[in-house]
Amino acid sequence: MLLDGLFAGGTYALMAAGMALILGVVKVINLSHGAFFTLGAYVAYALAERGVETPLAAAPLAAVIAFAFGVFLGKSFINPARKHPFALPVGTLACALLFEQAAQGIWGPHPLSIESGDPWIGPGGLVIRRWGVIAFLSSAALLGGLRWILSARPGLPLRLIAEDEEIAGSLGMDVEAIRYLTFGGACAMAAAAGALLAPSAAVTPMIGRAPLLLSLVVVIVAGMDSVAAIFLLSIGLGIFGNACAWFLSPQWSYVSLLVAVCLLLSARPAGIVVLACRRDG
Amino acid sequence: MTVRTGTFRRSPLLLIGTATLFLHLLSVALPAASAFAASQQDTLKIGVLAPLSGPYAAGGTSFVQAVTLAVEQANAEGGVFGQRVTTVVADTQGRVDVAKAEALRLVSREKVTALVGAYLSEETVGVMEVAAAQRTVLLVPVAATAEITGMVRREYARYRYVFRVGYSLPQWAEMIAAFLPDRKVRRYAFVGAGIRWNRELGETLERTVSPRGIVPVYTAYYSPGNPAFDTVAVAAAASSPDMVILADPGRNSVSFLKRLREVAPALPVLSVGGALGDARLAASIPRAGPVYVQAAAWRGVSPAATAYVERFEHRYGAAPVGYSDTLPYDAVTVLVAAWRKAGSAATQAVVPVLERGAFEGVAGTYRFDASHQAVWGTGAGALRGTFVRWERGASRIVFPRR
Repeated sequence: MLLDGLFAGGTYALMAAGMALILGVVKVINLSHGAFFTLGAYVAYALAERGVETPLAAAPLAAVIAFAFGVFLGKSFINPARKHPFALPVGTLACALLFEQAAQGIWGPHPLSIESGDPWIGPGGLVIRRWGVIAFLSSAALLGGLRWILSARPGLPLRLIAEDEEIAGSLGMDVEAIRYLTFGGACAMAAAAGALLAPSAAVTPMIGRAPLLLSLVVVIVAGMDSVAAIFLLSIGLGIFGNACAWFLSPQWSYVSLLVAVCLLLSARPAGIVVLACRRDG
Repeated sequence: MTVRTGTFRRSPLLLIGTATLFLHLLSVALPAASAFAASQQDTLKIGVLAPLSGPYAAGGTSFVQAVTLAVEQANAEGGVFGQRVTTVVADTQGRVDVAKAEALRLVSREKVTALVGAYLSEETVGVMEVAAAQRTVLLVPVAATAEITGMVRREYARYRYVFRVGYSLPQWAEMIAAFLPDRKVRRYAFVGAGIRWNRELGETLERTVSPRGIVPVYTAYYSPGNPAFDTVAVAAAASSPDMVILADPGRNSVSFLKRLREVAPALPVLSVGGALGDARLAASIPRAGPVYVQAAAWRGVSPAATAYVERFEHRYGAAPVGYSDTLPYDAVTVLVAAWRKAGSAATQAVVPVLERGAFEGVAGTYRFDASHQAVWGTGAGALRGTFVRWERGASRIVFPRR
């Protein structure tokens, strides 16, 4: 239960971090984020059909394709429509639905599946999910890289734009370009997560919906300031969901998760990490 | 109002959106135009209600594919009274209100002669009201709730137009109960999506098998929206059953089975039908332990079944799953046969023929009981269904023994 929560939560963290990046830098709730997760899963399936059955190969390819789509979407729609607050959630939701329809048109509505292979047997006969481990480690490595970028010199423009766009612009930064490149990068993270998780599920046009909701929950609760907080909270929620399913009922796991989040937010509306930082400050 | 071309140059998405809207309008207009053209000819129209969008789109698409194949077969045999049979398909979206509205549209505006559908039990109960009010024959292929035949039994005069081709939950349980001793199963875990018919099947199965000394050792229903597969898989395996019965016809059955194989590679699993009847999906599951699938019919069960599977494969590139496609195929086959036997497609002529007649389908010979339920099960003359086992590269029929 602990290991499974760890694996699932760790991979969803990759998607949630992308969502937080968009929210922090582009200042947009991107409801098409799940569509990029779906794109990643289909790329993994398409490669598996051609004999490349490892999502480790699919994840970079999915990330590149999603980055290109994300940049296109960011440049052609997100940036021009940013000034209209209601246009973006509706617009990104429309993009997600359009993508689902396109996926259904290309691959059909039937579920598809990638061979997941046998599990690994650990010490003492402990059964370990092969793709759970691979996806978790890949996710942790990518998030570690993101954390380093954000804290080092290359991440300075992102931090500055997140803090104050006008100051960033007055310093000669191309804020518009950084915004759509960030959007593309975040979409690439969602696609990588989709490719990494594809072997453990059935690939359908709507596979991205549940991860979208989970990543939204993580970002709302963890805030946008810390990659580590997002990572830890995703794992925490993964384990919490499993614990509820185990001790209460599998049907209650999702409801319990959302109730816990609502209670947490009613106590700390700005998110747990933000408040903790402010108190520390 | 003028549209400047620069608007499209600056925003390619606007161009794509406009093109999508145009294509959508075209896709709505073309079937309407073809339906109008069809109505001008001498045709018998069957209204088909299935979810082609939303979470049940996969099952709904197979449903329509099979119905199309059955209608083509009927026309290849000369149609009915020299008239061609056509279909008018309506997307129910898996929603009761949409299913009812579409059923009414099919009967009152499209002037269909009979209805086939819907897919979910809840939708079908709603469509029954329309069939009763409009006095239109409704053949139910897959919805399994007891409420459907219960309504016919209680209010025969009102609902006598409704006939269920697919198996009811008690019949389904009876067929599983016959299969379990054949595999030497004494303890089973029952797992599925937390939807109405799964719960009803779980309860009915427990009542049916308990007199035979077979007991459930674990029962769990996961949320279809965000299922806690890992926990359910671990708990099911930890209860040490002889077999896991997986009651989920949809995509989640594949995800669950992958998780289960990770914690209990050798544990036998029986899918009560649906997605796991798809050879492409079954091929992606590790096969250390046996995976069985229950189906209405399968290739090799009879010459009719084999011919149907081959036609389906040839037409759509994949074999049918044996449930959400085979039963709609048989529903149309039964309806067409009833029209031919009655010598008329009029409701008052067809209902008595369906009540008294016997109709050959892919799954065997269909006869309806007093509640208009096709007779499935283990008794004499009943349709028996099939249990197959997936093996590397192929499937093998394991029950009933042949």
